[in-house]
Amino acid sequence: MTSILDGRLELLTPEGVSLALTPAGPARRAMAWAVDTFLWLISISMLMGILGGSQAGRGIMLLVLFVSYWGYPILFEVYGKGMTLGKRWMGLQVVRADGLPVGWRESVLRNLLLVADFLPFLYGVGLFCMLLDGRFRRLGDLVAGTMVIYRDPPAKPARIEDGQPQPLPFPLTPDEQRALLDFVGRAPRLSDERRLELADLAEPLTKGIGHASLAKLLNFAAGLTR
Amino acid sequence: MKQSLFEQQHAALWAKIEMLLADKPQGDRKELPRLYRALCQTLSLARQRGYSPSLTEHLHTLALAAHRQLYGAAIERPAVLRHWLTSRFPRLVREEWRLFLIASLIFWGAGLAVGLLVWFYPEWAYSWVSPQELAKYKRMYSQAAARLGREGSGSDLMMFGFYIWNNVSIGFRTFAGGILGGVPALLSLAFNGLHGGVIASWLSRDPVTREAFWSFVITHGAFEITGLILSAVAGMRLGLSLISPGRYSRHHSLLRTAQRMLPMVVGAALLTALAAFFEAFWSAMPGLAPAIKYAVGGGAWLLVLAYFTLAGRHEA
Repeated sequence: MTSILDGRLELLTPEGVSLALTPAGPARRAMAWAVDTFLWLISISMLMGILGGSQAGRGIMLLVLFVSYWGYPILFEVYGKGMTLGKRWMGLQVVRADGLPVGWRESVLRNLLLVADFLPFLYGVGLFCMLLDGRFRRLGDLVAGTMVIYRDPPAKPARIEDGQPQPLPFPLTPDEQRALLDFVGRAPRLSDERRLELADLAEPLTKGIGHASLAKLLNFAAGLTR
Repeated sequence: MKQSLFEQQHAALWAKIEMLLADKPQGDRKELPRLYRALCQTLSLARQRGYSPSLTEHLHTLALAAHRQLYGAAIERPAVLRHWLTSRFPRLVREEWRLFLIASLIFWGAGLAVGLLVWFYPEWAYSWVSPQELAKYKRMYSQAAARLGREGSGSDLMMFGFYIWNNVSIGFRTFAGGILGGVPALLSLAFNGLHGGVIASWLSRDPVTREAFWSFVITHGAFEITGLILSAVAGMRLGLSLISPGRYSRHHSLLRTAQRMLPMVVGAALLTALAAFFEAFWSAMPGLAPAIKYAVGGGAWLLVLAYFTLAGRHEA
């Protein structure tokens, strides 16, 4: 059902079903990092404006700086289901290698190791490591036994509205069903000729060609997603 | 079986699981294991019978969430930090006594060698520390300074924040740098030893600053130096596990070592934080006789020594 090309990771549970996880690549993770850093800088500079006046204020400021710099990702990952604010926004999530939520140990280790990943500048080591690893793990992930995955499974095809739900005349394999849904999903973006040409291919299923076939495909798709 | 019939038959089960997994769970959570097994069975059936992708996707999402809920539940480990501090941490330090010895030799060796050099040939001090900085240190520790060891009039709280931010972060970086073969941890150790050696020797040559300096550093030094050395030990161990993983793959060796050294990293950070507390609120306190400071400082060193040799010995 899954081919090796789509980068999904199969997780076999004790109950004998396989669950799929999709590791997230460097680009999306860099965006999440940028969001986090931006938020952190904003809140720190706002706080500096408030506390910067007195000596004691600057002391508290430095304490907050320490706790937020090292603690922000850890606290959010442990209590926020593996998501810092940036990761939440980008639809990413940190999980253990076995797909379970991260705990204190994993989160502390992977975030301490950020320092090593940051070297020599702007996550050079981390990027290099991610490109070599099949699951896009940076050094911290390797040491802590974690990985970053996409939180939501690939978006479900939108409900097909413009067809009368109709059952299939004979069962299709999941791959064939997927192909059918993909076609119907992409159909609005194809030219008329191309659409009809492709619909012709489904003649064994629809017992028709051209517009008749296309209409039937829409009905089947509506039946599948109903 | 038709898909619609299948859906009808199991809709109640899926709805029940959805309710249990919601942010505000409703229903009896003890039922989850049984329901989850039933869900896995329906997922397998749906896949095998080739039901529509939207249904299998939905069941898959549900199964993944239930799997996490069920197997991700943390075992309750009350007071794990206390267990680490009373037993795991000192035992770990004793287990790693060889690396601790090497790290201590590097730190104290670098400090002592450079210190002696500066003691006999003071002009060498300028090779490592700029004249402005040396003058600054001299001002900080001369008797006239209102607060020892500070420039200007930094309040206690501000210095506490600064020491925490600066020193504990150095400890964390020293550990993390260890993964690059342990070399950055060694460099950090040698550099800090060298810097301390130059300053200590420079200030000791002048009778005006000698007593002020030593009575200032002796107390928090016990915690700070030990914390730094232990951070380096943890970092070196991490680097070594990468260089010579033994009978494990490099990845597994790293995983194991990191888990094992974590109590030491946390312990070292706590020691450094303790040092910051003493440095900010005790060491700089004016109007205390140096004899008192030496006594407390000696006590601190004895305490550290006793902790790492005796704590956690009688526990299995």
